[in-house]
Amino acid sequence: MSHYDNIIIGAGHNGLVAAAYLAKQGKKVLVLERRSIIGGSVVTESFGDNFSVDSLHTGGTLRPDIIKDLKLASYGLQPDSAPQPFITLLADGSPLTLDVESIKRISEKDAARFPEFVRFMNKAAQIMDVTYSTIMPRLPMNFGFKEGYGLLEWALELKLAGRKDMLNFIRALPMTAQELVEEYFESDIVKAAICAVAIHGSTLGPMGAGTGYTLIHSWMNRGGLAHKNVGKAGEITTALANAVKAFGGEIRTEAEVASIKIENQIAKGVVLINGEEISANQIFSAADPKHTLLKLVGAQDLPPEFVWHTQSIKMRGSVAKIHLQTNGNHGIPEGTLVVAPSIKYLEKAYDATKYGEVSEEPYLEVTTSGNTISIHFQFAPYALKSGDWKLEIKKVEELAINSLSEYFPNLRASISNLKSLSPLDLEQTYGLTEGDLNHGQLMLDQFLFMRPIPGWSNHKTPIDNLYLCGSGVHGGGGVSGAAGRNAAKSVR
Amino acid sequence: MLNLNLKTTPFHERTSALCQPQNWRKWAGYFVVGSYEHVLDREYWAIRNSAALIDVSPLIKYVIKGKDAAALLHRVTTRNVHKMKVGQVAYTGWCDEEGKMIDDGTISRLEDSTFRLTAAEPNLRWLTMNAVGMDVSITEVTDDVAALSFQGPNTRKVLNKVTEKPVDELKYFRLMTNKINGVDVTISRTGYTGDLGYEIWMDKKDALKVWDALMESGSDYGITPVGILAMDMARVEAGLFMLDVDYTSASHAWIESQKSSPFELGLDWTVALDKPGYFVGRRALEKEKREGSAWKMVGLAVDWVGMEKLFGKVGLPPQIPGSAIRGSLPVMVGGVHVGYASTSTWSPLLKTYIALAHLQKPYYEIGTDVTMEITVEHHRRQAPAKVVKLPFYEPEWKKK
Repeated sequence: MSHYDNIIIGAGHNGLVAAAYLAKQGKKVLVLERRSIIGGSVVTESFGDNFSVDSLHTGGTLRPDIIKDLKLASYGLQPDSAPQPFITLLADGSPLTLDVESIKRISEKDAARFPEFVRFMNKAAQIMDVTYSTIMPRLPMNFGFKEGYGLLEWALELKLAGRKDMLNFIRALPMTAQELVEEYFESDIVKAAICAVAIHGSTLGPMGAGTGYTLIHSWMNRGGLAHKNVGKAGEITTALANAVKAFGGEIRTEAEVASIKIENQIAKGVVLINGEEISANQIFSAADPKHTLLKLVGAQDLPPEFVWHTQSIKMRGSVAKIHLQTNGNHGIPEGTLVVAPSIKYLEKAYDATKYGEVSEEPYLEVTTSGNTISIHFQFAPYALKSGDWKLEIKKVEELAINSLSEYFPNLRASISNLKSLSPLDLEQTYGLTEGDLNHGQLMLDQFLFMRPIPGWSNHKTPIDNLYLCGSGVHGGGGVSGAAGRNAAKSVR
Repeated sequence: MLNLNLKTTPFHERTSALCQPQNWRKWAGYFVVGSYEHVLDREYWAIRNSAALIDVSPLIKYVIKGKDAAALLHRVTTRNVHKMKVGQVAYTGWCDEEGKMIDDGTISRLEDSTFRLTAAEPNLRWLTMNAVGMDVSITEVTDDVAALSFQGPNTRKVLNKVTEKPVDELKYFRLMTNKINGVDVTISRTGYTGDLGYEIWMDKKDALKVWDALMESGSDYGITPVGILAMDMARVEAGLFMLDVDYTSASHAWIESQKSSPFELGLDWTVALDKPGYFVGRRALEKEKREGSAWKMVGLAVDWVGMEKLFGKVGLPPQIPGSAIRGSLPVMVGGVHVGYASTSTWSPLLKTYIALAHLQKPYYEIGTDVTMEITVEHHRRQAPAKVVKLPFYEPEWKKK
């Protein structure tokens, strides 16, 4: 039986970040990926000739400190693409870019307020960034200097932000996105466009508490409203994989872990689905906490209260993806474009998920990369009231194309190929429990020291030598790599 | 309107007719007889000398059934349940993840994948929480299953008169199915008195038939309906503790120091640290086993001569309580607190004032001289006592 210092389950961006940090320390590292390609949710895949798209996460960028630590530029990571516009659509179908000049067309007042909003959001993202760069203390039982240091740093950052921004930041977290944007803007179209970023990837409407937090979270990860590096998500994970290998680590694809081997509450290794056993001193799982703990470990080896909390982690994916290959005459402008005509529209789109229904009037985010178009569709709940995703996905494709065709009449005729991914595909193909992109909803009761569950925010589990390093732990959600980096650092 | 009245047991028609002093006690939401007579002596001596018939129907009971029934109990309790044979009964405590006792009771393996678990308090949520991912059903049958505790040296003879199959071969902590008066019963060789005894389990609709048959055939053997107050005296002699009296459940202790581990309660023999796999509290219990326990439940025998001296000072002979005292009494060494007695009673059989006490290390060693609080004519005094091995009383026929 082969033996490693560290086994990392999952070659997504967080798994690879953890692997790279550990391999760089000189550890003998093995990354196991169930798919035939690496990347996890941060992947660029080809679904046909000249039909290459970012399957799930559009572009993105890792934290600058990670890029620097791992010297990713030397392993093929390109510098960030030039800033892209963030575009919403006016009632007459014409695009409106969210910048001062363009907003003036709608409202002088909003245009005047926009720079202050951007300034505050950048500040809020900076404060948020400090929390994500550190491991959370296991509150409430372990509030001491040793574990509280990260929080102290955060408190300092808050204090440095100045009294007004500090207060506004703390207020913003539990607020609804609607309330937050209404403190700045008067026109619904501007407010709704920003709210779209707040609910992106979450099963929440803009009138939901805590969407203030998700707005800051997304803003931080994106570096603003628009996505960076559209169509180049795969470059991130490819560069990370190059780094892992350069540091001496191994990556095996088509190596699905069936279970984690446990003896006396200590993780000893993994068993692959083909029965192969590989042992390791420490195991890091970048799979989501529910999959890791309830499937790979199993409830029978875990304390009852821990199982209860783990079961209760809210996954609730409601994202579908529709990728289109076109002849180029689709008419959609480059950048990040949202179909979010009003806050009420977004909230109604979300309402459908409560009843297990697909939004008839969905929130769409559209990104283009040459002739390909990626549509992020919300809301398409994983748990349908009736019907089955194998058939229902056709309805989602139609809804998406119809909605967009109202603004871009040439779209339908330009389509030559289509690849859609339902929430069920997100689960079955990408291993995301309930199709949740974030490995657990970004909600107020599932963030900071409560992520993945209260009392276990330090990447550890009740199983010795088993650590969580995926998006489901603090720092996770979106492309940043913080969760993977923090996990690797937690075991020094 | 919400009905907050106490329930009556399936034996109420008989017990209420016999209860002379109207001495009723609350037990898990039911009325049960505290004592059938004005003083406890006859009931107590029935347990030790003849045959005591005690209605223990309020005992909380679960039927745990399914492919993973053994696995669930193996995980929840400290016993090695996989090793239990069908027809075996095992006394056990169960703990939280910190290795502190939540409750205690007996596991009966009725069939290969059917168990009955008794408990002092409701545990359905805890059992359900532990059953995640298991193929098992957990049903509370407290209201449906009537239970009689039949205790005392004559009980075997009485049972043999009324049961379809003789009970002679029924070993200590084993159970059998049988019939009494044409009614299906399960008989287990268990009890809460430390004497020869049985517990008889039946459907509630059959309760009175079983009661009547036992009372009729037991009349030649001094069968006596006994209330829970006399049983309380007997269980202290037997060194058996009670939830909420002698320890606080970890699930509703206010502070850490109110909680107890099974080792602290003297249940070392029930903690199967050698059993395979995870069970709740394993880590903490292993640690406590390695490092030793800070507390231990022991027996205290209060010195009669010492009591005589204290009472003598006010011109009285020693006063002894008429029933078990469920109250905390400080225990000291050289005037310094080293623990407390949680239940104390006069033992009519041993002619000794005895107590279940919780003492700190190192005072829990057998033979240690301590003092325990007694009240002498409204004054608190410390009477000399000695730490003794539990149980205080164990007749040779208990396990024979």
